[in-house]
Amino acid sequence: MDFDMGADVAALRRRLRGLVHDHVPPGYLGAFTDDPADLEVAQKFCRVLADQGLLCAAWPEEFGGAGASAWEQTAVREEMWAHHEPRGAQYMGVNWVGPAIMRHGTPEQQAKHLPAIARGEVIWCQGFSEPNAGSDLASLRTAARRDGDGWHVTGQKIWTSYATMAQWCFLLARTSRGEKKQQGITAFLVPMDDPAIEVRPITNMMGPHHLNEVFLDELWVTDADVIGQVDQGWSVVQEILAFERVGIARYARCERLLRLAPAALGAAWDDLPAELLGRWARMLVHCRRARLLAYRVIGLQSTGQVRPADSAGYRIAVTRLDQDSAEVLMEIVAGLPLDADAGTGFRRAVEGHHRYSVSATVASGSIEMQRILLARSLLAARS
Amino acid sequence: MITGLSDEAVEFGQVARAALEAAGGDRLVEDAEDDPRERGRVADVLAELGAWDLDVRESADELEAAAALCRAAGWWGAPHPVAERLARPADADGLVVVDPVAPAARLDGLAGLTWAAVTLDGTLHRATLLPAAQAPRKSAFVTSLALRNFDPGGRLATSADNVSGVGVGLGLTLPCWTLLGMLDRAIDVTCRYVGEREQFGVAIGTFQGVQFQLTEAEVERSGVEELAKYALWSLATRPDDAVADALALRLAAIEAAEVVFRVTHQLHGAIGFCDETTLSWLSRHSQPLRRLPLGPSATRAALARHIGRRGLSGLFDEAAVP
Repeated sequence: MDFDMGADVAALRRRLRGLVHDHVPPGYLGAFTDDPADLEVAQKFCRVLADQGLLCAAWPEEFGGAGASAWEQTAVREEMWAHHEPRGAQYMGVNWVGPAIMRHGTPEQQAKHLPAIARGEVIWCQGFSEPNAGSDLASLRTAARRDGDGWHVTGQKIWTSYATMAQWCFLLARTSRGEKKQQGITAFLVPMDDPAIEVRPITNMMGPHHLNEVFLDELWVTDADVIGQVDQGWSVVQEILAFERVGIARYARCERLLRLAPAALGAAWDDLPAELLGRWARMLVHCRRARLLAYRVIGLQSTGQVRPADSAGYRIAVTRLDQDSAEVLMEIVAGLPLDADAGTGFRRAVEGHHRYSVSATVASGSIEMQRILLARSLLAARS
Repeated sequence: MITGLSDEAVEFGQVARAALEAAGGDRLVEDAEDDPRERGRVADVLAELGAWDLDVRESADELEAAAALCRAAGWWGAPHPVAERLARPADADGLVVVDPVAPAARLDGLAGLTWAAVTLDGTLHRATLLPAAQAPRKSAFVTSLALRNFDPGGRLATSADNVSGVGVGLGLTLPCWTLLGMLDRAIDVTCRYVGEREQFGVAIGTFQGVQFQLTEAEVERSGVEELAKYALWSLATRPDDAVADALALRLAAIEAAEVVFRVTHQLHGAIGFCDETTLSWLSRHSQPLRRLPLGPSATRAALARHIGRRGLSGLFDEAAVP
């Protein structure tokens, strides 16, 4: 066994931390705050990463990437999330929209979209969930009605992150009805500036841009906008989800905040109750546990193996970690003065982490869906 | 990055599990409760595999093999302190980590072996077994120990154990592999049970309430598996962190055991308390591994004291990534 990622990954980590230090202001808590300047920081940082070949390092070289190893990709995910994702909304284009276009897009779609994503110039949103199609995504009702050489799309999407700022949407709509609800779904690449699309922000505890409603009223799309085959969008979605089996490296931010806590509290750390210090230590163990569960999945993936139950187990562990660590950190910072200079930034970071952690067991597939997947695997293996 | 045991270690564990099954499997612990001298049968079986020749201090490969062996022993709830014997220092047949306030270990019936005991601060002792206060059915072979200095200084000044914490690390880590084997088995027998047991005309494993509990247990178990491998690697490569990493593993393992046995008992229903189920035996004999040398609260406190403000090493260990 060897749990050392090696010198190349350590060097990449140092380089990424250097870029964060040089281009992301202290106290930065992500792109989606009440301060528009934070969004601009993310846009500029993406261009910095792109210039250095780091924004799409994981992409194959033929599409402008650097063919980074699975462990280098892991380091990028960890460093970005630990430092409050200074790529902003770009991770979606980089992590799965781009790869989906590489796999299923036409040469024209690839030429149109991939360079823009690689340069960090475009933001995508994901038109998947609907008011009555969340975990049961295949029940989606947004309808694409055939009309000549195109379709008119009408329906509603919800929980659509970044829809207010996105230039493009990866949209799922029903183009026919098959025997199974998974049949007859088609994926489209549509521009968000079309007047047939209306976006309404949903005010929420995480901050602006995270959640929106998207209304589609007779949106005109053509065959050129279809990605993959007509009526075969479900298989594209399944593959997209496979790109995201590990997803966000939530454990990295948890660990960083926990490790920063003693210094942030200074002498006050020694006055914390022993029971709370024990919970802090326990959370560090859980950070390591989640990280190692992720590494098990990544290690298998890097050798071409996929065990969905391992991915589900990891996601259950890491989303619970997000929430449990947030509770411990909130208790740790409770004694910090609200208006003091020292520790204020840390307190705000912890509060932001807590607000965001509430969504961890819901976002990108609820924890219940992961439990169903894991349970089925456990029982099937012994039936 | 290699996150799995070597193929050789995995195979060794499989061979050991098969050998223990051939020697009696679940009957081993049942027979030993009747007559603690039967505990030696496990040692004889493992001796034929060369288990006691493994040098876990000098060879990372043999340490991995030892871990796989402990896991196999845990699968059957084997009534022998396999992990403790594999962790032995020089001049003793086995090593147990003890709480100096109330030293005890699951060594009843094994007074014919010489035992060393180490406290979390690295102090090494000779341990003598005191008469067991209860029969094995209640004690799970736990007996109190009398400690005396291992050498005149109370420490082996020349021993790498005291310099590096490897002794404490080994003494904490290998029993966690035994406990992991018990957790593996508890979940395995429970998955089989809920797949067969029918209520309301269907297997109870089809109920989401049952499935979700199972996943709670499995996530805990799989987390221990990864931390256990990490602790082995740490022992072999980063001795300065060996105690912290072993305490981290132990905390996760005994907290996981609490969840796993709560869930697996609940899903078995009343039959899970009965001697006719494997779970009942595993559950009882997991207790010493979970309570000694320290239970969850004391282990958590010990870990917090040990790591201080620095925390566990990881992604943000400045020494690792300046």
